[in-house]
Amino acid sequence: MRHPSEGVLRRLVDEPAGVTDTDREHVADCPACRDGLADARRDAEFAANALYAEADVNPDVAWLTFADKSVHSAARARTYRRWATKRTPLVAGLAALVLLAGAGTAAATDWLQIFRTEKIAPVPVRQADLMAIPDLSSWGDVEITERPKIHPVAGRAAAEKETGLALPDVTELPRGVTGDPQYQAGQRITATFTFRAGKVRAFAADAPPMPAGLDGSKFRLTAGPGAAAVWSSNQGVPSLIVARAVAPTAYSTGVPFATARDYLLSLSGLPAEVANQLRSFSADGRTLPLHVMPEKLTSKPADVNGRPATVLSSTDQVLAAVVWVDDGRVTLVAGSLSPGEVLTVARGLK
Amino acid sequence: MDVALSWDRKDSVARSADEVRPDLEQVFRDSYRRVVAVAARVLGSRDEAEDVAQEVFLTFGRSGVPAGEALPWLSVAAAHTALNHIRTGKRRAGREEAAHPRDATVPDVAEAVVAREERRRVRAALSRLPRKQAVALVLRHSGLSYTEVAAALDVSPGSVGTIVRRAESALRKELNRHAPSE
Repeated sequence: MRHPSEGVLRRLVDEPAGVTDTDREHVADCPACRDGLADARRDAEFAANALYAEADVNPDVAWLTFADKSVHSAARARTYRRWATKRTPLVAGLAALVLLAGAGTAAATDWLQIFRTEKIAPVPVRQADLMAIPDLSSWGDVEITERPKIHPVAGRAAAEKETGLALPDVTELPRGVTGDPQYQAGQRITATFTFRAGKVRAFAADAPPMPAGLDGSKFRLTAGPGAAAVWSSNQGVPSLIVARAVAPTAYSTGVPFATARDYLLSLSGLPAEVANQLRSFSADGRTLPLHVMPEKLTSKPADVNGRPATVLSSTDQVLAAVVWVDDGRVTLVAGSLSPGEVLTVARGLK
Repeated sequence: MDVALSWDRKDSVARSADEVRPDLEQVFRDSYRRVVAVAARVLGSRDEAEDVAQEVFLTFGRSGVPAGEALPWLSVAAAHTALNHIRTGKRRAGREEAAHPRDATVPDVAEAVVAREERRRVRAALSRLPRKQAVALVLRHSGLSYTEVAAALDVSPGSVGTIVRRAESALRKELNRHAPSE
């Protein structure tokens, strides 16, 4: 009988079910083929080791980057509207947090709360400036161990049960928004950033000296969980979304948040006035700077039933959103609506 | 392109530069991890692999590839694009060196240097393999089944084992031939 080919021997290594019984039985009884199989197994293991690569990535975060910088401008507005309305402030807030400190898991027990979002303030950073900022992995270790995992749920009760948040009622839908909403829930996101002086030196030889105690210090950030009611439209994008999430909170193992933040900002290459703006906003540890690209969004202050809020409008006038913080919860109303319409919905929430 | 493989078909690009397919976000979320895994096996660097993934999805976004065929198309595109990066020496600006070692289990500079040199040797060896072998090897070790590799490379499933086997043998020989002297 002929011997099975080298390809069949290779397949026996990891897909034996794809090999015929006849070939399997032959190999079992044939010393030469068993040697060939051992060679194939050895080379396969060698290749697996040689090609091993750490590739733990977060598609949610990657999609934001992709939608933001890679899609052509003419299509970007449509794409941006889709993710912006779906992501909820949980992710929008995270983008600002990541800019400042990074985020991840926390096994340590000596975390000191240093930051709790009580209000949101927009910080305009132009796209070109943002692109110039290296990511946090250049300065330390970033570990994201709890991911938001935004997913559809059966209904409002399921969203509230999963997140422990009460979604507000919309008393009157804007004109053009019809039907029943679909509900989504997202789990808490937690991340840790650990400063590494060695990485900073490797990245920038002229980096300023690291403040005492900062090397090896950890900062943990959490946000969420969050829930959302989404009204779809026949354009395939949400016409209205009402979302609520637990506001971002930061913890430190001891180093003041301002120390880490100021050092990061000194490295980032941001324009001085933007860095100063960021410093002043979070000086009290209560204000979450919300990154706004002036090429895409404009922002203005507003009031939602006595609470300070921020209204965001896309420059192509296809998206508007209003966001505010109350009692440790971020609430967002957004959609393919005018700023006036989202404010009316927000003020009418029960 | 060294070989005409299905991902590079001219008829796969069916949209103008400012037209993006509506299913892009869903395909991106479903396939991003796989695409990065493929590119990372070629490049040995997650950061560079994520750059390649962005490039590949940008091309896909303007293509007419059916969503049902997206994963094999994206996988083979990621392998080719990453191999092209090696060949052309294209690197991300600014942070490539700083990105190593990303792995926090590498505790000191000496080990980091060794790890970096190992990655360089593997990349160089991959670039010397016949293109189809290199792509098949990377796809298989990224977790694609024989059927998926066959579909991605437009070859018969029965030939996948042979291509992968020869690629693994060639890779080992290449790495041994260019092994650093003790």
